[in-house]
Amino acid sequence: MEISHSTIRQIGDYRLVNPEIAGGEIAIRLHYQMLRLRRLEEALRDEYHPADEMRCPIHFCIGQEAVPAALSLLLSTEDFLFSHHRSHGYYFAKGAPLNELFAEIYGRKTGASGGLAGSQDISHPSSNFYSGAILSGAVSIATGAAFGFQLQKKPQISVTGFGEGATDEGAFWEAVNHAGAKKLPLLFVVENNRYATFSDQLKRQNSDNICERVEAFGVRSKKIFGNDAPLVWQTLKDEISRLRNDDGPALVEAYTYRLNSHVGPEDDGINNYRTQEEMEFWKRNCPIRLLQEKLVATGLLNEKLIAEAEETIAQEVANCFDFAKSSSFPKVSDWRALNFNGNSPCADAFLAEENSAIFNPAQSEAKLAPY
Amino acid sequence: MAREISYAEAIREATDQAMALSNDVVVLGQLVDTPAGIFGTTTGLAGKYGLERVQDYPVSENLMTAAALGSSLTGLRPIICHQRLDFMLYSLDAITNWLALWRFKSNEKSSARVTIRAIVGKGWGQGPQHSKSLHSWFAHLPGLRVAMPATAFDAKGLLLESVFSEDPAIIIEGRGLFSMREHVPEHPYRVRFGQALVRKEGFDVTVVAIGVMVPPAMRAAAILDKEGISVEVVDPRTLNPLDRETIVKSTTKTSRLVVADPGWHSFGAATEIITTVTESMGTQLLCNPQRVTYPDSHTPMSMALEKEYYPNEQEIILAIRRALE
Repeated sequence: MEISHSTIRQIGDYRLVNPEIAGGEIAIRLHYQMLRLRRLEEALRDEYHPADEMRCPIHFCIGQEAVPAALSLLLSTEDFLFSHHRSHGYYFAKGAPLNELFAEIYGRKTGASGGLAGSQDISHPSSNFYSGAILSGAVSIATGAAFGFQLQKKPQISVTGFGEGATDEGAFWEAVNHAGAKKLPLLFVVENNRYATFSDQLKRQNSDNICERVEAFGVRSKKIFGNDAPLVWQTLKDEISRLRNDDGPALVEAYTYRLNSHVGPEDDGINNYRTQEEMEFWKRNCPIRLLQEKLVATGLLNEKLIAEAEETIAQEVANCFDFAKSSSFPKVSDWRALNFNGNSPCADAFLAEENSAIFNPAQSEAKLAPY
Repeated sequence: MAREISYAEAIREATDQAMALSNDVVVLGQLVDTPAGIFGTTTGLAGKYGLERVQDYPVSENLMTAAALGSSLTGLRPIICHQRLDFMLYSLDAITNWLALWRFKSNEKSSARVTIRAIVGKGWGQGPQHSKSLHSWFAHLPGLRVAMPATAFDAKGLLLESVFSEDPAIIIEGRGLFSMREHVPEHPYRVRFGQALVRKEGFDVTVVAIGVMVPPAMRAAAILDKEGISVEVVDPRTLNPLDRETIVKSTTKTSRLVVADPGWHSFGAATEIITTVTESMGTQLLCNPQRVTYPDSHTPMSMALEKEYYPNEQEIILAIRRALE
């Protein structure tokens, strides 16, 4: 049966995770990365209220750790990653410093974006990570980065991560069209978590066949169970490898689920958009739990190793909070400089200074034609 | 005699020179690779630099703007071309939510080196979807530079300056100007943003004229000169940044202000310029500031109505006379 949100639960609890796909060492690293991401998100969620020191919208990604964890093991710093508003996983995937993520959310000057952007607009240019809140905006920009790499024959690839909600946008299909037409080195990663905020995909789209649709534009695609971390890793690895060999573009649709609310720590269940039974299914089939069971069963992990990992992560998270809370708030002395660079070293090198007020106004305007 | 070329040829020459100076410069737009070449401004460039660097783009304006931004992050300096500004409006998200705030959002760490060329039709029944300028919309945005070159000289210098600077810019080109010829130096040069030009010195009244309003303002000044009315014509050349100092300095000298703005009357560039002057001079002005603008109406197609809709030197002369009353 083809995977989709409507078929996943019919199959029953997922039993197919196979750490050997990735190999033991990678599987353990995947587990560790997912656990790190999970714990930092939980810590942020739990600290959010009543402290109220994080004063920005945060779209947590609890339950959606498999894709970011896999990407974190597959991308180089030089690759570009453009993320949607649910950004922490992708920020993490690019290996950008977590203390700067925390400081950003706390609005401190040591934040990745100096406290100017917050969780949903954070970027870390030296890690080649960018995000933004407007759906599919980052997808379009990713297309341009892929074009730049292709034109300049650079070895990097461009990756963009987003949810199925972004595929409602016309901008998304413009990007798919151009990527397919130009065979761009661009990887689209759809984390299909079924809901755009509280709206079911099938309320907004004729069907959930995103893959079939992008294939028609010349973008090859794969749909997978997105909580099977070794499978996610293997699939992304294959596609990234093909992209690096000028065999792009590709789209991977990973079916997954956010266990938290759309935004913030508050429960959004009042909107009645998902059932308790559905949430329980996904809790049982969360990517960390699925992989951990197999790793423990095969002896690659045990309680002691997990406890050690938890302790290391707890310390890392505590350090991030300390860093954020002890950092100063930003000050702005020049609003204009914040918005305009003003320097132009390239123009200084290439262009002469000239000025001329000479102008003959006794000329008629151009007579236009139909075209 | 100094070499003269047209406004369109000046844009083409600037683009050609930019592409020769740096392999990072690319031109994207619908039909940029055709012989017609965006009214002659890109003609021949595809043959010279190849179809990758002079790239016909899908009819996806929003994508083009966003992709230009993405490509600039990889080191490119794209020039994107819109034959008609109106079509560009699909890219308001890319411009407003991404391009203009890219530097801000990255805490000054990342630059979006994108030049947008947008052409504004006028006449021959271009009508309401081929003739909007909207420069005041764009000038309102932090983070986006806005140029309104009125002459071939400025068209070349501002385009080169924009391409080789670190901030994004939109250059709004009045198509009525494309045939006008002027002395343009052959070598690559820059006209800096934020530097207004006093095109004609005078003592009785300051006329600040923007873009396609510069030629009629100059003609009005020449006509009134013969009557002994001395008009100073200031061309701001760019609206963001706006050279407020030069405008205020001129008006301080003349104490009278007329603004000729090729946009709608309300909430426009003229409003901003008059406000700037009155904030500085207040009751020292000897007249109420005058605006010469388009009516608060969309552009009509009929040639009979076009004549009524677009102000010319006669309307500017009337405004100057009102200022001198």
